Amino acid sequence: MKKIWKFLGSMQFAILLLVVLILACAGGSFITQGLSYEQYAELYSERSAGLILGLGLDDVYHAWWFVLITAFLCGNLLLCNLIRLPQLLRRGKQADDPAHLGTPCVELTGVRDPEPLFARLRMPRAKETTDEAGRTLRIAVQNRAGLWGAWVCHLGILLLILGFALGQMTKEEYTVYGVPGETKRVGDTQYALRIRDFRVDRAENGFAEQYTADLSLLDLSDESAPLAEDTSASVNHPGSAFGFRIYQNSMGDAAKLTVRKDGELLQETWVCQGDSALILQTPLYVQLRSVLRDEAGAETAAPGYAYMIYVGDEFYTMNVQGAGESIPELGPNYEVSFSESQSYTLLQIKRDRFTPLAFLGGVVTLLGLLLAFYLQLRKLWAVREEDGTWTVRGSSPKGGALYADRVREAATPARTRP
Amino acid sequence: MTNLLNVESVLFYIVICLYFAAMIFYFLFVALKKDGVAKIAAGIQILGLLLHSVALVCRGIGAGRLPMTNQYEFSTSFAWGLCLVSLLFIWRFRFPVIGTFAVPVILLLIGYAAMQSKEVKDLMPSLRSSWLGFHVSTAIIAYGAFGVSFVLGIIFLVRDRMGKNAFWDQHVPAKEKLDLISYRSVCLGLLFLSFTIITGAIWAEQAWGSYWSWDPKETWSLVTWLVYAVYLHLRIRRGWRGRAAAVFAVAGFVCVMFTYVGVNTFLPGIHSYA
Ligand code: HEM
Repeated sequence: MKKIWKFLGSMQFAILLLVVLILACAGGSFITQGLSYEQYAELYSERSAGLILGLGLDDVYHAWWFVLITAFLCGNLLLCNLIRLPQLLRRGKQADDPAHLGTPCVELTGVRDPEPLFARLRMPRAKETTDEAGRTLRIAVQNRAGLWGAWVCHLGILLLILGFALGQMTKEEYTVYGVPGETKRVGDTQYALRIRDFRVDRAENGFAEQYTADLSLLDLSDESAPLAEDTSASVNHPGSAFGFRIYQNSMGDAAKLTVRKDGELLQETWVCQGDSALILQTPLYVQLRSVLRDEAGAETAAPGYAYMIYVGDEFYTMNVQGAGESIPELGPNYEVSFSESQSYTLLQIKRDRFTPLAFLGGVVTLLGLLLAFYLQLRKLWAVREEDGTWTVRGSSPKGGALYADRVREAATPARTRP
Repeated sequence: MTNLLNVESVLFYIVICLYFAAMIFYFLFVALKKDGVAKIAAGIQILGLLLHSVALVCRGIGAGRLPMTNQYEFSTSFAWGLCLVSLLFIWRFRFPVIGTFAVPVILLLIGYAAMQSKEVKDLMPSLRSSWLGFHVSTAIIAYGAFGVSFVLGIIFLVRDRMGKNAFWDQHVPAKEKLDLISYRSVCLGLLFLSFTIITGAIWAEQAWGSYWSWDPKETWSLVTWLVYAVYLHLRIRRGWRGRAAAVFAVAGFVCVMFTYVGVNTFLPGIHSYA
């Protein structure tokens, strides 16, 4: 039992998990994700398609085994950090203990005065003590905090994975689209989104540089007294209201659909590109395929509207009609036409309370890496020999020969050979 | 503004010539075994870096934005990053042989840039973010550092094969030290790659409402990050230093290059513009 725990917290297991994760991530990027059996069968073969779906390779990053490996990695990191916590505390305390100075990587003998050398290497104040032979010993320890680098880095990764996983499990995400003036319910929540305005900023050549939607999010939990929070969302600058973040995701054309029956106005509504509207008192749907424009660009009047007509789910016909011209396929007493057009905005409304945790994890990871790589623990200690000179030794678990070089270099002018 | 873009165009070709000259001198340094030649080579490389920097600034001002938004700009910046980091390592460890191996890689990268379209296109709204600047500039340093660790890996392997050789013994640090220098470059790369991934995540969160969506470029930057994490752990756990670490550093850079070029070429995704 103890052996199993030890293995689960070991670096060996960590390396194994990391290698499997690397293979899974790389594999997932080569297999197009989220296709159906038929699509995979066409792309590869029927047998491969069965294998891909059976192993969850169509959605690698959410497959049970991928989640399991990640969970093991978290457990591994947690165990490793728990096991190492007391060791690190001890090593920190013992850093300048004469009995735990470590194997020296450099040794200089016959040094007259070690102080200039310590100063040149920017070592902190040395602790003076005596060794077991009763000789004077000066010990300086640099970058003690660096001991914690890997530990902090692992903690950061743990927080990051935790924040990401909790976010995936609890986040709420909705899409709302519409034209200015419309108010739409946000999914099945108690909220509704009112699109007050939508602007497209264009460069002189007509290129769209920014889209901005002015919005109000309404809390309808008390229908008689709705609460509203105003915000605006543009690309790279999400809005926020009631704890939701609102993203300006994309835009497209919308056209006004007018329906008259026997000369009387029956229906007037905005239809976004790709959407269909049911013609009242009929089984017919009119879908707006696209708004056709001339080359001149977005702001000129649209010369044509491409549409499709469905009876229930069945495709009936498709055609293009000019602005205000009645669609002929709908019989003599119905006058159905598209006119005008404006941009609609597609917004994403999202609430993920754990995003800050994931980013905190990222920052902690960075901090850990900085500590591990750029605050490396170094020790320099000097022993006063009987002849009055000093022997200086240094150790640096990560710097090794490079640190030895630095010490030798710093010593060159100060060192005197007997 | 188009004037500045023209200046950049001219400078770009001058810079290529300078890097080419630097490469010749670095080769001569190894062939003639004369230290003075290495000094000339490094001098030319520094001049190349300076003019390259001026070219990038001209491009930035001429295009009215950071010069980091399309494949041309990114590959020339990548070459610049490798040039900068390799010079830092040459200077810090007094190790000009790095130049002999790094400058050909710089030339390959800048040659790749020369094959890309130099047109200044309108920027789509999602690319108009200051996070883009942080994201790409940290990536440039990370890729530069990994490029240096690749070069050091190759130098290690060459040295390993060479046996006893007076020039190499004098001009290339002992294997143990070489390994430590390579480790330092991986550390620099991994730190900056972490910055790249995190600033990219912040940017994606603001632009697309999702900080991580397993897009192939994201996934491959994670793969690269994990590969170097494995490298660090193998060093500690199995004492994989020296030869094995050198092979790993070379393989790691293959991942970097795949993330950089391969993903755009072979895999679809939202990063297809860069
Ligand atoms: C994505 C995963 C991981 C990353 C990015 C990571 C990163 C690091 C880094 C940067 C270091 C410092 C290395 C150095 O300074 O040379 C390190 C050391 C270490 N890691 Fe990890 N690590 C990961 C996972 C793990 C796991 C799962 C374990 C579980 C056992 C682990 C155990 C260790 C140990 C024992 C050390 C040595 C610490 C020391 O020498 O002070 N790591 N890791």
